[in-house]
Amino acid sequence: MTPPVAERSAYPVSPTIQAAAKPMLPGRRRDFLAGASRLAAATMLAAAAGLAGVLARAVWQANGGSADGTPYAGGAGWETIGPAVAGTLWLALATAALALPIGLGTALYLEEYARPKRRAVRAFQAAVAHLAGVPSVVYGVAGLVVLVHGLSAGRSIFAGGLALAALALPTVVATSAEAIRAVPDDLRTAAYGLGATRWQVVRHQVLPAAAAPIAAGACAAITRTAGEAAPLLVLGATSFATFAPAGPGDPLVSLPTQVFAWAVRPQAEFAAQAAGAAIALLAILLGLNVAGLFLRRRLRKVLP
Amino acid sequence: MLSADRLSVRFGSKTALADVSLDVPAQKIVSVIGRSACGKTTLLRAFNRTNEMIAGARTTGTARFHGTDLYGRTVDPVEVRRRIGMIFQRATPFPKSVFDNIAFGPRAGGFAGDLHELAEEVLTSAGLWADVAGDLDAPALALSAGQQQQLCIARTLAVRPDVLLMDEPTASLDPAATARIESLVHSLKATYTVVIATHDLSQAARLSDMTAFLDAGELVEYSPTATLFTNPRTRQAEEYVTGRTS
Ligand SMILES: Nc1ncnc2c1ncn2[C@@H]1O[C@H](COP(=O)(O)OP(=O)(O)OP(=O)(O)O)[C@@H](O)[C@H]1O
Ligand SMILES: [Mg+2]
Repeated sequence: MTPPVAERSAYPVSPTIQAAAKPMLPGRRRDFLAGASRLAAATMLAAAAGLAGVLARAVWQANGGSADGTPYAGGAGWETIGPAVAGTLWLALATAALALPIGLGTALYLEEYARPKRRAVRAFQAAVAHLAGVPSVVYGVAGLVVLVHGLSAGRSIFAGGLALAALALPTVVATSAEAIRAVPDDLRTAAYGLGATRWQVVRHQVLPAAAAPIAAGACAAITRTAGEAAPLLVLGATSFATFAPAGPGDPLVSLPTQVFAWAVRPQAEFAAQAAGAAIALLAILLGLNVAGLFLRRRLRKVLP
Repeated sequence: MLSADRLSVRFGSKTALADVSLDVPAQKIVSVIGRSACGKTTLLRAFNRTNEMIAGARTTGTARFHGTDLYGRTVDPVEVRRRIGMIFQRATPFPKSVFDNIAFGPRAGGFAGDLHELAEEVLTSAGLWADVAGDLDAPALALSAGQQQQLCIARTLAVRPDVLLMDEPTASLDPAATARIESLVHSLKATYTVVIATHDLSQAARLSDMTAFLDAGELVEYSPTATLFTNPRTRQAEEYVTGRTS
């Protein structure tokens, strides 16, 4: 039995308040969203567990195990997936080197420099938004026509890098523009009000304030495209490279296309190689994401 | 020294300031009073050329500073803002350290002296030095709302403008800090010209030499402060300063 309010309180309580004081009712409020969100989280967890299970099986198989206990001849060794790993690293590097500066520059132009009321600017913004939704295979076709047939760039790392950079670009522009737009206008007004030039406002206020989401968006776009197979298949990636590409002019190889090429073959040893290549691809993408995380931390310290 | 001549500002189709003409004498304090949305902020921002950052804003008429048209073709708005500093109604510290907040304006203007000395001076003027002296590297956003306002005042002083436009600078301060800022404004009068927008009529009466009363974007009365508060020429001003509404 809880003592009445007056007894617990150090202050005298007037009789009317004492009369009005009811004991606190235990109980919960109904919250539909609490249950629904818990269910959603559980579904997400189940999907993640499923993926982890499949991967674990693949690792086991790639290491030479099989369902009936006999090891496969020839797993996924460095000799087989090495060229593809090198190719994907090259492609990611090319995507980052091209899509990040061009994408961020375009976003800065659209948000800070262009006059927003110009019809051309608004049309451009709309076009970027739509380009971000164009299926990746279409970029492959465009790359094939423009780069391979038009510019005779060949089925090279260079052509693949350009196609992937073009694929990542609209997303980088869109996420960067959104990050820049999220910087409060009061901050700009305050900076301009102190007599800063546009460049100083952008460099010392807008960019530092938007750096983290810009880096996050770019990182997501780059890892996303590094895992793309479709545009590279259309461009004509080779699936039996015997040496690792050493420069942009070398033949186009990549992990996603390699996974695809091996996975569609009926023989069991190729399935193991596909699994190994898939794991290598996931490791690289994870590495890129972690690198992006460190970059973001570093940016926060360096930029202001 | 600072003057407006038939100055109008429109935001889209809305007129925020209509044909305002007034003269701010050098080394005087002018207060701008009037109901919310009467155009006080807009008038101050027109002198500091920060209305033009708002999409759809259009300024007509002239604003002069030492005879130069602030909106002239050859005038650089960056220069205008360095000479005519503004403290905005909403205190917006940069998400950086206290020191970097102070240093931003001087650095932008190419200040070559000792930034630490300058920081101590302006923070003392704004009454904030005692609170932050121990840690100038502390994040500005960790300060209280009133301290943030004081920081914003200090940061504008650091640019060393000729004119100081203050938009309700004490609206979020306690009485002690308000008194400090008021005495600061008083002492600034020797070297600066100050235009201060305020809802605090007693503050306007205490501080200013001249008072401008705005209503719905129009300058209703511009008189010496003593006159406007005791013997206003217009009925609207009288009703406003006596707190009567018709
Ligand atoms: N950014 C803007 N966009 C559109 N209209 C605006 C903008 N800023 C101000 N206005 C309009 O201009 C008019 C004057 O506003 P202003 O901010 O100058 O008033 P104020 O006197 O400073 O008010 P307060 O005392 O509330 O600060 C108002 O009607 C307001 O709606
Ligand atoms: Mg205002």
